[in-house]
Amino acid sequence: MEIVKILLKQLLQTPATNKFPAKYAPKSTIKFLDRIKKGELKLTPPIAVPPRFRGKISYNREKCTGCQLCLKVCPTKAIEFIPEEKKVKIFVARCCFCAQCVDICPVDALAMTDEFMLSSYDKYADELVVTK
Amino acid sequence: MDWSSNSYSLTTVAIVVGSIILALLGAFFGLLYRGIDRKLAAHMQGRIGPPIIQPFRDIRKLLAKESIIPDGGLSWLFQACPFICLVVSILLLTYIPVFGQRALLEGYGDLVLILYLLIIPSLALVVGGFASSSPFATVGAQREMVIMMSYEFPLAVAIIAIAWRISHVTDINPFIFSTVAQYPIWNQVGPVGVIGSLALLFTLLVVTPGEVAKVPFDIAEAETEIAGGLLVEYSGRNLALFYLADTIRAFVMVSLVVALFFPYNLSPVIGIGATAPAVIVDSLFFLLKVFLVMFISVILIRTAMARFKISQASYIYIIAMTLIGLVGLILIHVDMIV
Amino acid sequence: MKNEEMETTYTIPVGPIHPALKEPIRLDLKVDGERIVDVDVVVGQVHRGIEWLGMNRNNPIQNIYLAERVCGICNISHPFAYVMAVEHAAGISPPERAEYIRAITAEMERIHSHLLWAGVAAHEIGFESVFYLVWRVREKIMDLIEYVTGNRVTKAMFQIGGVRRDITEEQFPRIRKTLDYYKSIFDQLKTVFLDDRTIRMRAKNVGVLKREDALKLLAVGPTARASGVAKDVRQDQAYSAYADLDIKAVTPDILTGSIVGDVYDRIIVRLLEIKQSMEIIERCLEEMPPGAILAEPKMAKVLNTLKKAEGEGVGRHEAPRGEVIHYVRLEAGRETLATWKIRAPTYVNLMSIPTILKGGQIADVPIAFASIDPCISCTNRAMVVDRKTNEKSIMTYEELHQLCVEKTRRLSNGLVK
Repeated sequence: MEIVKILLKQLLQTPATNKFPAKYAPKSTIKFLDRIKKGELKLTPPIAVPPRFRGKISYNREKCTGCQLCLKVCPTKAIEFIPEEKKVKIFVARCCFCAQCVDICPVDALAMTDEFMLSSYDKYADELVVTK
Repeated sequence: MDWSSNSYSLTTVAIVVGSIILALLGAFFGLLYRGIDRKLAAHMQGRIGPPIIQPFRDIRKLLAKESIIPDGGLSWLFQACPFICLVVSILLLTYIPVFGQRALLEGYGDLVLILYLLIIPSLALVVGGFASSSPFATVGAQREMVIMMSYEFPLAVAIIAIAWRISHVTDINPFIFSTVAQYPIWNQVGPVGVIGSLALLFTLLVVTPGEVAKVPFDIAEAETEIAGGLLVEYSGRNLALFYLADTIRAFVMVSLVVALFFPYNLSPVIGIGATAPAVIVDSLFFLLKVFLVMFISVILIRTAMARFKISQASYIYIIAMTLIGLVGLILIHVDMIV
Repeated sequence: MKNEEMETTYTIPVGPIHPALKEPIRLDLKVDGERIVDVDVVVGQVHRGIEWLGMNRNNPIQNIYLAERVCGICNISHPFAYVMAVEHAAGISPPERAEYIRAITAEMERIHSHLLWAGVAAHEIGFESVFYLVWRVREKIMDLIEYVTGNRVTKAMFQIGGVRRDITEEQFPRIRKTLDYYKSIFDQLKTVFLDDRTIRMRAKNVGVLKREDALKLLAVGPTARASGVAKDVRQDQAYSAYADLDIKAVTPDILTGSIVGDVYDRIIVRLLEIKQSMEIIERCLEEMPPGAILAEPKMAKVLNTLKKAEGEGVGRHEAPRGEVIHYVRLEAGRETLATWKIRAPTYVNLMSIPTILKGGQIADVPIAFASIDPCISCTNRAMVVDRKTNEKSIMTYEELHQLCVEKTRRLSNGLVK
């Protein structure tokens, strides 16, 4: 049978699993992360993302003219306008990574980076509110 | 304790101590082999899989969880069934020769008793399923009953065929394991009989996944169809006992196949006479034999096939496997005449 | 005597949460032993109010991303049909290169969706090894999708008037490499699925949908094609780049010569469609015309045009599961859509479920249900909750019909000036 041949062949090959972040789940995640910070353990890196990957948004404050076009097209209302300064604030916790704001900005003040490890306990934490 | 006499009796202390040691060894190796099974199956499917000690962690985790008893079920029966299942699975270990030694309670029970005792863990699962008051468990219990009735036939045919052949060679009771060990089936038959014995071995290898409820015969616990089937309402300590009993049953069934068809020991072959090294060498050889049989009949079959429907599984056992077993029996008979 | 007619059936609920279902839906099976006597389908557990949002909160460009999230696997089909509907209503026509890019991404989604389905179907019958094998193979197309569109799942390629990203010449070799990989393993996949004894035992003559029933119950997509109804929107009313390619609907008699309409035939249809999609992508890559990718590159202008536009439009697309229709009505001076109606293919295919399941065994339910490729997230139904009394009631057919008639009257009144 075809499947038996495939199975026996796969028994001798390396598994297809990407071992990010570690081969087996650690007994205590917090201790694991601490040891990584101290440098005792190394995190298996994730697979590299391709170019033009839509990750966390980056905002160039100087270029922004305050035209509010990005607010109009954001499907999730993740962008907030600050009227006093005529600049915007972007809440990554609401962002759906569609990059429509990037397309519509007339001065190219917005761009998508390749950061995707964005979890946090607080959705208004500093890493998740992009102001500059 | 005199290992060499044919009719021996043990003191009560010896029985109790031996049973405790066997229970611990059975649990340890049952869980270890389950871990090896998962690791090998994972590598065959191209993934890493859990570490080999994962079943031990599973038992520890289950014992720490709450045991929920469904409202509509019969509470005493619901909690008694896992105990019965575990106790009888361990009991089976005392009657089957493991680790290359004689069975602990050899003088007290033989193959016929094993045939009857093998029914009880499955029956405990069925009764536990019915006592769960859930439609999924009812369907699962019905299916398990049908499977149980189906595989008894080829199992009986295979065992009786071997015992019948041995009875023509010696006067000692052929159902006792030490007789089977003294007169292995392969040494008693000519070439035609070898084909017959292979047919019987094939029958037993197909009965094994049905007995221990693994794909393609895990119909009673089908995950995707009836959401866990028999065991759907079990949790916590009760589920831990069923899980442990399941792993021990797998070990027991494969040991039975090894005891019937490959009762050879390594130490006489390589000439180790002293007791302690012989025990170690025999135990390791036994574990290797169990691993090989488990690989073919449980692990490989489990990963290479889809699950059968109950009508198909019951047809396979009652008609196809029984026919093959009977063909094996006839070939052995023909070999004897010729 | 009444004793013989004793009630021997009991009801097994499958869902809303069940390992056989990937999305919440409730099937109440009345069984007698192992045989299924009756089936009742209850949907509505994933109702998210998408059409309401589209009509009351979002402007048409935001709606593209809302339509994308109607379903995770059909996330090109819904925006495709929606964008076609809006363009039809507003009178915008996208350039040719955009049409080709749209067709390429739609076919990539079809390959991905069918591979995902194949793995899920294998899992339903307990064949874990094939599930892992097919999903391992699926990773390659996901990597390709990530390379071309920027994300593995929500592709965000569509824009009103064209597409957002170009597929440049540098990306062609990578696309061709993935297609070659799939070509090399296609025969192995076909053997694993179609020649395996246990899959045949579980899939042949199971969940049969005869041709008359498929026509009567209005099945669409591979479900209908496997029963012999050769319906395919790309063939019957070709749109976009498909009008240049000659697409023929795939029916199982291409491979086996006969049509039974069981689960096995549906596996055949979907596997052959993967091959067809690969060929379509190759042809599109070769014949892609140069040019712009957007009819109007400045999005602000597009928003203005849509605000002033007036009219209704219908967009139809052959999603991996069948025909998806979006109906859109625009009103001058209104930022949001005036009307938006989505008719997902699974909505229609669900009607065939009682016919497929009746008379079978319980063991057949997961695979037969999965064989219509249900995407319950695309389906929704009306359930009335009276806020004052907190009462729930399901609308009957007559009430629904009445509401439907009233809505048509409202719509036609709005159009007639």
